[in-house]
Amino acid sequence: MAEKCPACGSCGMPMEKPEDFALGDVTRPYCRHCTDARGELLPFDKVLETNVRFYVESQGVTPAAADAMARAMLADMPAWRGRH
Amino acid sequence: MQPATRQEQKVVTRDRLVNAAMALFARNGIAGTTTAEVAKSVRMSHGVVFLHFPTRDELVIAVIDEFGRRLSAEFRQAFERDLGLRAVLQAHLRVLAELEPFYARLVTEAPMLPPKVRSTLMLLHAAVSYELFQALERERKAGRARKIDRALLFNTWIGLVHHYLVNRDLFATGDSVIAEKGDSLVNHFMALVKP
Repeated sequence: MAEKCPACGSCGMPMEKPEDFALGDVTRPYCRHCTDARGELLPFDKVLETNVRFYVESQGVTPAAADAMARAMLADMPAWRGRH
Repeated sequence: MQPATRQEQKVVTRDRLVNAAMALFARNGIAGTTTAEVAKSVRMSHGVVFLHFPTRDELVIAVIDEFGRRLSAEFRQAFERDLGLRAVLQAHLRVLAELEPFYARLVTEAPMLPPKVRSTLMLLHAAVSYELFQALERERKAGRARKIDRALLFNTWIGLVHHYLVNRDLFATGDSVIAEKGDSLVNHFMALVKP
């Protein structure tokens, strides 16, 4: 098995390098994309928006499809589990 | 060597389940494999699988994540040697070849998979798209490639590769279509991006 690295508890992004973590701190549970300048987790809508944009820009899917896919992915993440 | 702690034992068990699932998904398809069959193939109780993966979707996602980890490691190694687009394409194909039977099933069944699983695959594709585009931009700045839209760059590459994978029985004489056709796909793609 390949060596495992932690994944962001909000979006699931693998965090391999210190700069991938919030504030460059490897003890933080979330990545730099899902947190603000103080290292705090961003609101769900902001995280969703970032993920939707990521899917649209990388693969050219429609915003509606990207939204559905991103919601399905985020729903089970530790940061958002149980959120209605 | 026996694992020293319960936590290490847990990791070993999880890895065995992921590997067993990958093999069964490759052979029988993702929709055609049950968690009970995965348990049976490694002589574990169904309860053990359930403890690690409460649903089959969780198991499928764990297998895709394993694929993602290998891909990420391969890209990292490729970058230590060469930052070119060809090296990125070859690194991508090396991982696909390693996991080809599973990956071919995955892309064949992808439109029918639950959104959560499909989204995991899309996240992986987004990472490949990012690496391809970064490499293309470096080639472009060096005058070796033309400007191409990021999504179209990725979709052109993945469309080509997936077509060969989904129809691998038509394109390969042996077990691996990537081993047989990979070099020609890379050469063709490199020719397409030339200025």
